[in-house]
Amino acid sequence: MADETKPASGDSAGLSNGLVSHGDHKSRRVYQAARSLHSGAVKDLLSLGVCERCIFRLVSVEAFDSDLSSVSASTLRSWLESGDEEAASSEESSCCIVCLGVLQFVFSDAKQTLVRSECGSDYAARVTDLVKEEGHEFDSFGLEVYVPATILENERAVLLYLKGKYNSESWLQSEKISVKDALKVLVLDPLKVSLGAKSDSSSFQIRLTYSKASDEAQGASETTRERKKRKTDEENGSTSMSENSFEKVYEPCILSIHCNKMPIFFSGRYFKYSRNVSQTRWIIDDERMGEASVEELIGGNILPACLGDSYKFHAAGREDIDSSIIQVRMLGSGRPFLIEVQNSRKCPSQQSLTEIEEKINKSEKKLVGVKDLKFIGSQCWAMMREGEAEKQKQYAAIVWIARPVEEKDIDSISSLKELKILQKTPVRVLHRRSPLERERTIHWMKVEKIKGSSHYFLLHLCTQAGTYIKEFVHGDLGRTTPSMGSILGCRAEIIQLDVTDVKMGDS
Amino acid sequence: MAENPETDDTIETTKQNQSEEEVEHSDEQKQEDELRSLLLSDIGDLPLSPPSATQVNFVSYFITDFTKPGHDQYIYRHANGLCVIGLAPTHIAFKDEGGITNIDFNVGKSDRSVLKVSGKRKKNAMRSESNTALCKVSTAKDSYIVRCCVKGSLLEVNERLIKQPQLLNSSADREGYIAIIMPTRPADWTKNKESLITLEEYKAKKEVSL
Repeated sequence: MADETKPASGDSAGLSNGLVSHGDHKSRRVYQAARSLHSGAVKDLLSLGVCERCIFRLVSVEAFDSDLSSVSASTLRSWLESGDEEAASSEESSCCIVCLGVLQFVFSDAKQTLVRSECGSDYAARVTDLVKEEGHEFDSFGLEVYVPATILENERAVLLYLKGKYNSESWLQSEKISVKDALKVLVLDPLKVSLGAKSDSSSFQIRLTYSKASDEAQGASETTRERKKRKTDEENGSTSMSENSFEKVYEPCILSIHCNKMPIFFSGRYFKYSRNVSQTRWIIDDERMGEASVEELIGGNILPACLGDSYKFHAAGREDIDSSIIQVRMLGSGRPFLIEVQNSRKCPSQQSLTEIEEKINKSEKKLVGVKDLKFIGSQCWAMMREGEAEKQKQYAAIVWIARPVEEKDIDSISSLKELKILQKTPVRVLHRRSPLERERTIHWMKVEKIKGSSHYFLLHLCTQAGTYIKEFVHGDLGRTTPSMGSILGCRAEIIQLDVTDVKMGDS
Repeated sequence: MAENPETDDTIETTKQNQSEEEVEHSDEQKQEDELRSLLLSDIGDLPLSPPSATQVNFVSYFITDFTKPGHDQYIYRHANGLCVIGLAPTHIAFKDEGGITNIDFNVGKSDRSVLKVSGKRKKNAMRSESNTALCKVSTAKDSYIVRCCVKGSLLEVNERLIKQPQLLNSSADREGYIAIIMPTRPADWTKNKESLITLEEYKAKKEVSL
């Protein structure tokens, strides 16, 4: 607890009366500014219960300065009061009727303990402790301050009172810096020092939220009737504000600190080996459908490494739960995805990401595989967008037809290049998608006979993005034309479908 | 038989290139084999005749003698609630010589085939009750009204039938479907269901093997 008679800024070697007659330029400037304020207004405001820094804000002509941060409130008060450089206010000032302690560096913490700081750097130290509790790693930050609305009302009331008494004064005409902005001016530099970080409009935000301690004790918000009366008074030019209007009880605010990091992104490609794994979490009536989801298997491993709050999964396209994405000796590119992590506390190194990738790939239940997992910056969305549009996809389907497969079938199918098909919205998704007819292209197809079966064959095909393959095979009641069945002139059914490759652009 | 060293050399190099190609080719071959075995690993024995897409994805219901004797229709209900409506194999229209020759969607107050349903919320869909007329099918002998059987929104009618009514004769249960209706509320479907019978019951009733 700093000695009340000394200014908190260091530089007053040997002088015991709080004065810095030479040496500290900052304090000197503040002293001179204090002496230059309209003394009548200062006296009025002091007796109303307005704090020292608010007085500077409201009465000074000069811009509100960060230098004010290093001079303690009690020293300021003594400079404002008598100009007597020796006297020092030894009473603890009461809670300011305008800023409710915000600019006095007074607040209640989460445990409802009152916390007082003499100067900006002391306050910054307290804030730093609270920020450290959130656990973020950062080298730059942005500062946000929120104050309760009553502060604005309190200020308006005081300004009204001042206008009533000092209407013509020039210092009253200038625009006054808000309590919120004034706090930022006072504490930004000390915070930079105690956090050891730069300040910018960065991806990491520290939010200081001041809120009312209780409804009654804050010069509680105007009722509608009061507001109407005040507005009519202002219009009439009369001010009924007198010193008696300020006789409520004022209590310091509660300060809560919240840190938020903008989302970070990781990209990669996934393979799906199981036919019982959905792409995203799929829960109906509290019951999980399928054994697991790609989203949880990947995101669930990345989230803890980031110490984040939550994650979102984005993929360039999707496949049915009963389709797999094949990986043959690391060929087949897998489906591109992004994992977005909210409010991460740290960013895992590439080394950790590689370890996560290995962990997923080596897991006992071979459900999902991952490759090329890495951190990605703001270009991630462009990457996904271009992936969506351009990609061609390769599939392998097991098809059955009602008659035995002949050589001519194999030839006729393989000869079809850039086949245009029209697909009406499949019945299986018609409940949630628009009824449209979509034209799609099948780039090429290849048929492989299956040993020991005359009615089944393997169909490899490469299609435009957005093609419904199952419907292309069985025809969807004739709503996809042409279909495998119509090309071969008999009923066709699809037994199994797998994604063998997802090409994106040039990759 | 003098040996020509130049030709020998060329033969040697060609052999080398060939074996390089063979190695590449056999690498590709290995990948293809691996892919194939991966693809075929899960299926087990392939049945001679697998269930059709309709059988797998829909539950079949039937209604018989609906408003008139012999007017038998099917309602295939998908897991997502949509109902595909069509003529059951025992419908009397099929008994007429020559089968169905014509279909007309212009019944009731409007032509069902000119609906333009749009958007996810299925704007402009006609609301139907179970006895709302859907279309009229005609044979050489007579014509018969087909009704919705399901209360809900009419999403689509099969306009291919207009040009190709013979689809009704050849595959009434697939390409010859007549309409798709979306029940608007679960309660509507539950109530509807009471007047429908299952595939088993239908078979028993009509003593038909499908």
